[in-house]
Amino acid sequence: MSTATIAHHDEHADHPTGIMRWLTTTNHKDIGTMYLTFSLIMFLVGGCMILGIRAELFQPGLQLMKPEFFNQLIGVHALIMIFAALMPAATGFANWMIPLQIGAPDMALPRLNNWGFWLLPPSAILLTLPFTLALFGIGDGALATGWTFYPPLSIQGGIGVDFAIFAVHLLGISSVLGSINIIVTLFNMRAPGMTLMKMPMFAWGWLITAFLLIATIPVLAGAVTMLLTDRHFGTHFFDAAGGGDPILFQHLFWFFGHPEVYILLLPVWGFIPQILQTFSRKPMYGYKAQVYAFWGIGALSVVVWAHHFFTAGLPVPALLYFMYSTMAISLPLAVLFFCWIKTMWRGSMSFETPMLFTVGWIILFGIGGLTGLVLADVAADAQYHNSYFVVAHFHYTLFAGGIMGIMAGVYYWLPKMTGHMYNEKLGKLHFWLTAISFNLTFIPQFFLGLAGMPRRIPDYALQFAEFNMISSIAAFVLGLSQLIFVYNIISTVRGGQKATDKVWEGAEGLEWTLPSPPPYHSFTEQPVVK
Amino acid sequence: MTVFSSDGSMIIAMPNNSLSPKGLAWLFISIVTITMTVALGVSLSGAWLVLPFAGFEVLAFAYALHHIYLHYGDFERVSLVGNEVVVEKHSYKNSEKFTFQRYWAKVTLRNSIDGTCSIFIGSHGKEVEFGTRYMDNEQRITVARQLKQQLNIVY
Repeated sequence: MSTATIAHHDEHADHPTGIMRWLTTTNHKDIGTMYLTFSLIMFLVGGCMILGIRAELFQPGLQLMKPEFFNQLIGVHALIMIFAALMPAATGFANWMIPLQIGAPDMALPRLNNWGFWLLPPSAILLTLPFTLALFGIGDGALATGWTFYPPLSIQGGIGVDFAIFAVHLLGISSVLGSINIIVTLFNMRAPGMTLMKMPMFAWGWLITAFLLIATIPVLAGAVTMLLTDRHFGTHFFDAAGGGDPILFQHLFWFFGHPEVYILLLPVWGFIPQILQTFSRKPMYGYKAQVYAFWGIGALSVVVWAHHFFTAGLPVPALLYFMYSTMAISLPLAVLFFCWIKTMWRGSMSFETPMLFTVGWIILFGIGGLTGLVLADVAADAQYHNSYFVVAHFHYTLFAGGIMGIMAGVYYWLPKMTGHMYNEKLGKLHFWLTAISFNLTFIPQFFLGLAGMPRRIPDYALQFAEFNMISSIAAFVLGLSQLIFVYNIISTVRGGQKATDKVWEGAEGLEWTLPSPPPYHSFTEQPVVK
Repeated sequence: MTVFSSDGSMIIAMPNNSLSPKGLAWLFISIVTITMTVALGVSLSGAWLVLPFAGFEVLAFAYALHHIYLHYGDFERVSLVGNEVVVEKHSYKNSEKFTFQRYWAKVTLRNSIDGTCSIFIGSHGKEVEFGTRYMDNEQRITVARQLKQQLNIVY
């Protein structure tokens, strides 16, 4: 006599539809899509804020806004672009691509993955809500301290600082949950035969990113909590009047803040060589060297933080140590640049949009890196610190090195994700407009910085007028050209020429063995890697 | 991953764990070392409020790894034992066992709307699905064929 009951078909195949699909989903591709969509929306929000700033800076004098509001836009623009645009974009790619690249059915902890995403919208609301509250006479707007929260300004600031502190906590929890998930997935869910040294570079980039987040997020969380207790509970951690040390906050913040740069960039460095090998139609050069360079950069990134405040009055031995250790990062980075260029060397190259963005990325990120070397020099930094030179430098690093890299990734993987080819002409137009307007926006800012224009000011001396005007006009072109990107993505999602499974002739990797778009469950049975 | 016994009388489907339990322990130790070294370092310079956050992070990691460890032994197994076809499903603490008479047992392969196929083993109007996890379509087809063959060989 049988004792069987009727069992149902795979519970995952009967996933919810409509809004519930997105609220409750544990599917890595759905969550990846949500991260990428959120990132795009916040990129546009942060972009609008900076256009307001550039409009104000179009001419000397105060035209459009009060200095307090200008400062709020600056701080929230940075927080949004870093935490709500760039990081979620990289996490979106991680969710979409890591299981596909390592041959896993999903992420190791799918529910944790869902929570990680749904912490982001409340934190974005917390960051922007003070603007709205101020319209109704509640509070004095968002945080006006810049994204760095430096005391004593942040101790004296309005409720915007509190909102931002809680937003940072939520973002931190989201990042830690995401990191735990990625580390466990990469260690435990690789396909049979895929050893660590056979993992795709993107997976390596994310593994080191996750370790950096694990190491640094508690420090940021502790630092902003100490700030909160200084503001409201009578402690004096950072209040010099009570025996505290404001410089301690700078140490804590940048202990997180400098690795954060690599947290934003390592995932991009991961997929850039994959794009290069695809469109150069030859194997990636120096896989092992790149992996070791990643580890080197990851390790160095947590021991160089004080170069962000050389001018704060550090002892000379500390200045020397931080100068040399910062410059040492250029060694593993040079290895990466060499490998990227050598991958293209004598390749059968073609220049579809992802490749255009990647080659442009290498050049522009190179400028970001080299200008960073200038700032790492203690003597030179004394002049350039807090000037527009720094603004131009980190935009070459984070816009060119981060966002343009993400754009390359979007064009590279969009056909795989949607099953449709994007409009190549619009993609190329987007690239050229972005690359040209980006340079026209930020090259003048190098000159402004060299001439002594300080950052975070709404008004400036007449001598800076022309360069600011050029920068503002170019910034608007840069902003408007992103609408092409948005249109191209939406039209690709909605339809277009059918993409093949492999999409690109030279593409290598497990993700290209699946149909485009991949099935709801990617690899039910893990493939064997030889 | 799916494992077939040499005589074809047993098929086991189980998840592939690329990290051994020992590796899991080492991973945890390395995470604790990194997090606590940093937290203790900055605590010594006065930022002791970092410690609770580092502690929460380590706890979250411990929970995640413990969850993974508990599922190391998950499997689905079908075995032909004497006159019986035994289907077993094990996921952490939940174990299910279904027994069918070998003579009457039928193996059917059904296609669903989403293009996947499923193996059903049953008799007397009752059936159980096998290979819902850890198998792809191709493997389900192979497993179904092998099971049918085994049932035909004896009877």
